[in-house]
Amino acid sequence: MWLRRLSTDRIERRSSERVEIFVVVASINGAQRITALTDGAARLGLKTGMGLADARARYPKLPVVEADLEADQRLLENIADWCDRYTPLVGLDPPDGLFLDVTGCAHLFGGETALARDLVTRLTQQGLRARVAVADTVGGAWGVARYGKPGIIPRGETKAAVLPLPIAALRVDAETAADLRTSGLTCVADLAARPRAPFAARFGKSLLLRLDQALGDADEPIVPRLPLPAAMAEQRFPEPIAREADVLGTIEHLGRQLVAVLDRRGEGGRLFQAALFRADGKVHRLEIGTGSPLRDSARVRKLFEERLAVLADACDPGFGYDMVRLSALVTERCDPMQTGLAGSDHAEELAHLIDRFGARFGLRRVTRLVPQDTHIPEYAVAAVPAHASKQMPSVPSSLVEQDSLSAVRPVRLFNRPELIEATAQVPDGPPISFRWRHIRHQITHAEGPERIALEWWHDDQGNQLTRDYFRVESRAGVRAWLYREGLYDREIKPPDRPQWYLHGLFA
Amino acid sequence: MGTASPQPTLNRLRQTLAEIDPSNAPRLAGAERLVGLADPINRALGGGLACAALHELAPTTPIHLGATSGFALAVAARASGERRQVLWVTTDYAAGEGGGPYGPGLDLFGMASARLLVLRVPKPVDVLWAMEEGLRCRALACVIAEMTGEGAVADLTATRRLALAAREGVSAQNSGLGLLIRHKITDMPSAAATRWEIAPALSQPDAYGGIGRARFDLSLCKNRRGPSGRWTIEWDHHERAFQPALSVGVAAPALDRPDRAPLVRAG
Repeated sequence: MWLRRLSTDRIERRSSERVEIFVVVASINGAQRITALTDGAARLGLKTGMGLADARARYPKLPVVEADLEADQRLLENIADWCDRYTPLVGLDPPDGLFLDVTGCAHLFGGETALARDLVTRLTQQGLRARVAVADTVGGAWGVARYGKPGIIPRGETKAAVLPLPIAALRVDAETAADLRTSGLTCVADLAARPRAPFAARFGKSLLLRLDQALGDADEPIVPRLPLPAAMAEQRFPEPIAREADVLGTIEHLGRQLVAVLDRRGEGGRLFQAALFRADGKVHRLEIGTGSPLRDSARVRKLFEERLAVLADACDPGFGYDMVRLSALVTERCDPMQTGLAGSDHAEELAHLIDRFGARFGLRRVTRLVPQDTHIPEYAVAAVPAHASKQMPSVPSSLVEQDSLSAVRPVRLFNRPELIEATAQVPDGPPISFRWRHIRHQITHAEGPERIALEWWHDDQGNQLTRDYFRVESRAGVRAWLYREGLYDREIKPPDRPQWYLHGLFA
Repeated sequence: MGTASPQPTLNRLRQTLAEIDPSNAPRLAGAERLVGLADPINRALGGGLACAALHELAPTTPIHLGATSGFALAVAARASGERRQVLWVTTDYAAGEGGGPYGPGLDLFGMASARLLVLRVPKPVDVLWAMEEGLRCRALACVIAEMTGEGAVADLTATRRLALAAREGVSAQNSGLGLLIRHKITDMPSAAATRWEIAPALSQPDAYGGIGRARFDLSLCKNRRGPSGRWTIEWDHHERAFQPALSVGVAAPALDRPDRAPLVRAG
């Protein structure tokens, strides 16, 4: 599919008044050159690649718009998103083309002709001029859409359709095409009839590869923009739906179809995506991940309900959705499990709760505390996403040596130790008072130091300081975990003084 | 009526009685479960901290957040037993302001961190939602949620919802215990069954002058079922039990006792 006036269509769609003739210019090699133009401008004899100065010399009042390649790219991607309604396999062909693999999809729209007509009609309604060609090969369709008579090339006739096209239809750069033209080769047939070796020597392999691809002698896969789902189900509506309840109902209904497919394969879904195709062409994609393979459509619905609840604003239904597609992007083997007759094992309910939290807040926010094999307090435990913590090898919690009646580790630990002012009687002795958040606490009991040196094998610069931890209790009963960073005289030379930090609070 | 179904009538009468005098509340089979604290408090609470209810905790000053979290975790440890799960809900801001729950510390304190699920949400409103869902889930023994400041979003309506959710979620595994920690004491109205203000108390030093077991100075400011009061209690993290705080030293635990949280001797 070729969007032949992508840039100008984009600008025309935006502007309120209709301007028949204008050009889009960009600075190429230091000169302002025309990169796109409207049909009206083309009728005046202007061409892409022409210098703006030349064009202005002929038509002094020619309206000009600055090129915006990023916006063009975005529009192309949006159109690709929208084309997802025809087939899940859509490939980008920048700057202004798309490849759609409609194998096996066309009958859903009443055949290839009907599909192409539908596509062009809908794009035209959106103000986009498109030329569509359907052929056996990607290269053939590309050439026919741009240089031939757009339409359907019946199976097996691609070769015949491509041969009369000019060389440029082979997706070669302008220079190669010009060189070939000067040597008298104007159309593909001229090239195909001649021996290959001299061309390979003169223009490199790419020219012949393009030729083979167009004629179907070499295979060319379309690189899909989006990952292909393992299974999907979709529902179209003659009248767009806009209510959230309807959307969720549709998702549940599709979920049932999807689950049936997964069931037959003995699989469950780990990652689901709902694509909501808005009537005006925008596509919303919602994704939910689960902790364990899921094949229960009511739960799928529930998870999307959470997702929609947080995305309410980002997912404006506008005029409504005319198509909803549910796909299982990642699936996993899921063997049916024998449930107990008592049926009171709530492990599954917990898994579902974690999934719902994940759907609403992101799976990274539901965590379990998994002990790690290090003695540095802040790294001794990692917050691992709950759905992944089962796979994570958990180091048996090698308990810290307990030499006190009280716990030697705090119940709350600050992510970033808080700087405090502390005074000690002797430089490397325990503190006798400290000030935290503007309040002074007199210490009556202190246990320590517990000396924790940082891991020198991870420390290239050698500038990490040893910490002396103290468990202290204040006169009011506040129990805190303080440390002094740096050893007197050895790591910190006077007159510098070590800093004190509060790292955690005991119960 | 008569002999055919005496049970409903009896229940109705019991309920009427309970409305007149809460201390006469009937011990309905299954519905009423309690988490025992220390003796004098249990009497005021009518046996212990009621399950299937919401309880509010707040530190008297911000630095007492450690003690408040400790008390909440101690109650959760008692409510969850050996196997059941506990959910901790916090906001990003609260975790930055007061630190997050620390695994090794929890293990030593008697609440196994392997059974704790930690959820961090962006906004205080989300805490309410997550707590409600957690209380409804029958797989969780206890939900602890915390909010910075007074927790203004947890108003009367919100706490009422939470209290109802706590009552609904009760199952064989779930005691339906909701503990809401506000980082600052408040006098906002709330539907919680009890409201506690918590400060740490000086611990009883061990034989060598070191810091003893965690002690809490609890003020029960609001109690729907009985009198308020103020007590000092001690948490024994080996036995997972509260004890009234004694002013005399207690014998050190025997080294060959049945092991719960292993006590490793240094040196």
